[in-house]
Amino acid sequence: MSNFLQLLFNGLGIGAIYALVSLGFVLLIRAASVVNFGQGEFSMLGAYLLVVFFNIFGINYYVSMALSIVIMAGFGVIFAYTTYWPLRFRGGLPVIISTIGASIFLENLVLVLYGPSSVQIDGLFDADGIQIGDVFLATQYLSIIVIATILVVLQYLVFEKTLLGKKLQATSQDKEMASLLGIPVVFMILITFAYSSAMGGLAGMLVAPLLFVSVNMAGIIALKAFAANIIGGYGSIPGAILGGLALGVIETMGASYISVPYKDAFAFAMLLLFLMVRPQGLFGEKISEKA
Amino acid sequence: MKLLEIKGLTARYGAADVLKGLDIEVEEGEIVTLLGSNGAGKSTTLRCISGLVDHVAGDILLGGQSIMGLKPEAIVRLGISHVPEGRRVFPGLTVRENIILGASNRKGVSRRALEGEVDGMLEIFPDLRRLENALGWTLSGGQLQMVAVARGLMAQPKLLLLDEPSLGLAPLIVQQVFRVIADIRRRGTTVLLVEQNAHMALSVADRGYVLETGKLLVSGKPEALWNDPQVRAAYLGGHAA
Repeated sequence: MSNFLQLLFNGLGIGAIYALVSLGFVLLIRAASVVNFGQGEFSMLGAYLLVVFFNIFGINYYVSMALSIVIMAGFGVIFAYTTYWPLRFRGGLPVIISTIGASIFLENLVLVLYGPSSVQIDGLFDADGIQIGDVFLATQYLSIIVIATILVVLQYLVFEKTLLGKKLQATSQDKEMASLLGIPVVFMILITFAYSSAMGGLAGMLVAPLLFVSVNMAGIIALKAFAANIIGGYGSIPGAILGGLALGVIETMGASYISVPYKDAFAFAMLLLFLMVRPQGLFGEKISEKA
Repeated sequence: MKLLEIKGLTARYGAADVLKGLDIEVEEGEIVTLLGSNGAGKSTTLRCISGLVDHVAGDILLGGQSIMGLKPEAIVRLGISHVPEGRRVFPGLTVRENIILGASNRKGVSRRALEGEVDGMLEIFPDLRRLENALGWTLSGGQLQMVAVARGLMAQPKLLLLDEPSLGLAPLIVQQVFRVIADIRRRGTTVLLVEQNAHMALSVADRGYVLETGKLLVSGKPEALWNDPQVRAAYLGGHAA
């Protein structure tokens, strides 16, 4: 039982990362109908920025994180203008291909600037963790779960309780009508890109101490986050969160109880299973974009 | 005073000219209706006014100032509110949320003041009161129309563009909608109304324009239009020989 609880905790920790990256996917799908295959590179860039500010410049860890988040938000706007904007009237596929191109470009840019060697980076806190009974709560996992929870709650409050959130939702549901009401549609889409990029970057910074920071660190995370998005229900916010957490738990349990080498396979087996049995996911959209 | 002047308006979708040099004027305080059969260019005219059509020539003036080439967001800020064909109520937002977003063109009004205005709208449209927390996609056609009009009014427009408000509604609801339109004018808002239901439209309008395939067929007072043989012919589907 204690082993089960331990795995559950670790699974939720890594699942929270998938959930954050998956949320980034979902927000862009909803606001701009963009499937962003550069989402994983947002995480990779965030982690590298932290390395640059903390490991190289020696700036305080938390200040480094804050700086990196701000830069990532700005980067999201640049990404929107270069990758999405010129193709915005060309339908979904050209933009998808353009985001794939951007992700390849970003990986190679970092490779040129930083080189291929991977880097280790410190965790958020010095303490290793807390022992509760037989379960050890590692600090970094605990931090990830707490930060992800705070972000999800904040995002819920913004989306459901503020006029800005309502305008973002209106933009995602019917852009032309939103513009007829005087909602600055372009600004709303840029906000979404900035937020997705900042959140993706933060996810990368949070997961960095658990892995090595490397050019391809985020590829597998982004793929699993995308799988989480399908499993949870394409374009669904609660689906992204639950799908991410479920994948984290399933692969951690699967690795422990069934097979470690097949750890990565469990997530994609789940994806295939859902595509066969319940393709609309856990929370199949209650409405299509234009009802 | 002329609130809206449309001069020589030409619009094209792809290779087809949808409007071919249209002239329309709307005086402040009037209800003016655009009539015509399907494809006459009525909705396109409204879409040109609110900046939704790209390939346009001619001029559109609001209070003497040209608004050609402005974005929809800018035009609604100048005081033209467009309730489009199909109502376009946001399906995933509640009635209250849909209505409050109608004020997105106004700057510096507090959330509390806006919520108060929404309450005012729910008094004008009492049927919506019990539905204020219902999501858009759950509403009936008549309810959607009421939400769309209330949302349009939240912009506090000088000019309200209404596109086919009676489309698909039961006769009793149509009468209710037209009572609301008459009320809106009484509150000082000018209305440009596109309708296929000529009878209802002419019963509330001060003047009407009849379009046929992108051109003006005839214009004038409701009684004159109603008795015009050309109009009767147009509504019966084609000219009498």
